[in-house]
Amino acid sequence: MEQSSTSALLQGTVLDLASDVVSALRSGDHVRAGGTLAGVSAGGGVARAAVRVLGADLLLPATLLGCEPVPDQLTVFQDAVAAHPPRDDAAPTVVWSHWAMIRALRRLGRPPTGPLADDAGAEPDARWLDDAGWQYLTHQLAVLAPLALPGEECAVMRAARRRPVDVARGFVRAVRRRDWQQAAGAGRWLTLLDGVPATLGLEAGLDFVRLMGGSDPRVALQLEAARLMPAGVPL
Amino acid sequence: MPSEDKVLEEVRTENIDIEAVLDPVEPDGVFRDSRECAALALQAGTTKLLLSPPTPRPKKG
Repeated sequence: MEQSSTSALLQGTVLDLASDVVSALRSGDHVRAGGTLAGVSAGGGVARAAVRVLGADLLLPATLLGCEPVPDQLTVFQDAVAAHPPRDDAAPTVVWSHWAMIRALRRLGRPPTGPLADDAGAEPDARWLDDAGWQYLTHQLAVLAPLALPGEECAVMRAARRRPVDVARGFVRAVRRRDWQQAAGAGRWLTLLDGVPATLGLEAGLDFVRLMGGSDPRVALQLEAARLMPAGVPL
Repeated sequence: MPSEDKVLEEVRTENIDIEAVLDPVEPDGVFRDSRECAALALQAGTTKLLLSPPTPRPKKG
């Protein structure tokens, strides 16, 4: 009972945070980006966990639009990075999402605090994607959509660049499975890749995903990112 | 002495398996027929159809 209520609370907070980011991406209003976290103390465990779950995308308005993050938001973000490092046996997506958060902080000139202050930011291994089938590749890329940024250079981005047709196939599969979150994440990657088949109809596909799944703030966030991506300033 | 809210917050945080949330398994998909997709895209008021491969059909015979 406690577990399920906690999980619901966490998911609800993640959705609130994603809504804030969507509002900020649509309006360029940095205050909206930090709305849910305004007044949250650094020790707010659920909020901090939710920030870790949403990951680097919490700072997307700052990254893509140059909005200055509000101090509360930045404090909780730094705290989430420090409080939730990946375990030694963590899955690659966990390791990479943490790396993406540290990278987002460094990009803003705010290096991580606490035990990670001396972290050199070494790139994790991405070999798990080398032999991944196109379905699994797309799923993993969608989970790591915060890494899909203009001008980003990392091993996951290089893996995606090598397989635009596979990601396109995965996008279509996600749409047909009605997995809107995966479709939106894959679509965000596709806006950055060369060699995407024109026959995919990516623009129409993203419109369709918005129509069907855009009421979920996590889906809307990826779609807004995809919309801004072509005009995004390379990092 | 920590407040009741603080204790509750810490209990909740302890219960969160962040790594499981960050490494989600792919949910079971519900496949939609291509014709339905096309119809829904048309309903959106766009003239562009979502292109997708044809639905696999069982072979006869």
